[in-house]
Amino acid sequence: MAEIKPDYTLDVRGEVCPVPDVETRRKLKTMKPGETLEVLIDYPLSKERIPANAPQEGAEVVAIEEIGPSEWRIILRKL
Amino acid sequence: MKETLLGGFIVGVLFGFVLQRSRMCFNSAIRDIRFAKDNWLWKQGLMAIAVQTVGFQLLASLGLIKLSPLAFIPAAQIVGGFFFGMGMVLAGGCASGVTYRIGEGNVVSIIAATFFALSAGAVRAGKLKFMLNWFGKPITVSMSNPGVYAAKEGKVAPTIANWLGLDPWVVAIVFTVLILAYLFLTKTTTRKAPMHWTVGGLLLGLVGMLGYWSQQKYALGITGGWINLFQATVTENAYSWMGLEVFGVIVGAFLAALIYREFKIRFPRDPKSYVYAIVGGIFMGWGAGVAGGCNVGHLLSGLPHLALSSIVAAIFFIAGNWFMFWWLYGRKGV
Repeated sequence: MAEIKPDYTLDVRGEVCPVPDVETRRKLKTMKPGETLEVLIDYPLSKERIPANAPQEGAEVVAIEEIGPSEWRIILRKL
Repeated sequence: MKETLLGGFIVGVLFGFVLQRSRMCFNSAIRDIRFAKDNWLWKQGLMAIAVQTVGFQLLASLGLIKLSPLAFIPAAQIVGGFFFGMGMVLAGGCASGVTYRIGEGNVVSIIAATFFALSAGAVRAGKLKFMLNWFGKPITVSMSNPGVYAAKEGKVAPTIANWLGLDPWVVAIVFTVLILAYLFLTKTTTRKAPMHWTVGGLLLGLVGMLGYWSQQKYALGITGGWINLFQATVTENAYSWMGLEVFGVIVGAFLAALIYREFKIRFPRDPKSYVYAIVGGIFMGWGAGVAGGCNVGHLLSGLPHLALSSIVAAIFFIAGNWFMFWWLYGRKGV
């Protein structure tokens, strides 16, 4: 999935509860339909919670990839 | 295992392992249900409480433990509870959350836990102990026949059962049935988690029961353990069961993170996160010290007793959490 070129990147590696989730929601609210957001995180709980809660902000999960030791890249698309 | 330091350590390792796998964080659980309309962790916590409500009662009826509800000092649980609730939002995790995340390699959690331990220690056993006098004396219930309770000179901290003169078994069963009805008859958010919330809750409950039997004085705790770890390390005081349990939580979470490849030394880049961790740790420590327990002592272990102290503390943990989350994030629109 490396070919996806996201419109925005949010790098919240190192941050814990609730920063990754809150920042993701804030960003999604400002995005237009069709735009994509890449979220870089290393907090395990948010890897599961951000995808679970993205539909509330009208977004779908395009991909979740492991990009390093306990680091993930979540790609979301605003619908 | 019973009343030994090794028992505390083993229970702690199991607790830490399950915390890491189940992602059990009470800060997240309380926040998510209100601000994210997500009840996954909330239900996991309640599942653990339901298991222990019946479990503690069973252990006590079999004569394996005596129930020791925490002291009821209403003003302390209200004020301390509210500060603890605010603190966990700032610190990025509850008392058990920051403890297990140290095992995942989280640097902010180490900072939050250190300030938590120092401020709780100062209030419970140090230079700030005088503050406890501000909140008054504990309210107790006199019982001529304490039965399943551990009484001190015929006095026991109030629970729903002994306060209303009801059979503790009846109260425990009614409370458990109500929780189970909520858990299984209402809709649960879905999540791809490594452990289903029912499994996580059940395992946490079983570890809590094992902890009660092993420690005898009480079930799982975090605040007292952190105070002891620091005191026993820098003075000649001895290590306690709970001190070793807290150390075990870090080791258990570390093992889980290592096995499932989730260990990493993590540093936030935003300097504000470090300041929040320090202030949050101080608020949480002061709050837990005053209230006589943290989210583990009062929520996970205290609510299964249906102790009035833990019920009041739980309400104000939640109120403080919601207030601080709204203050920091909600009012700016999340």
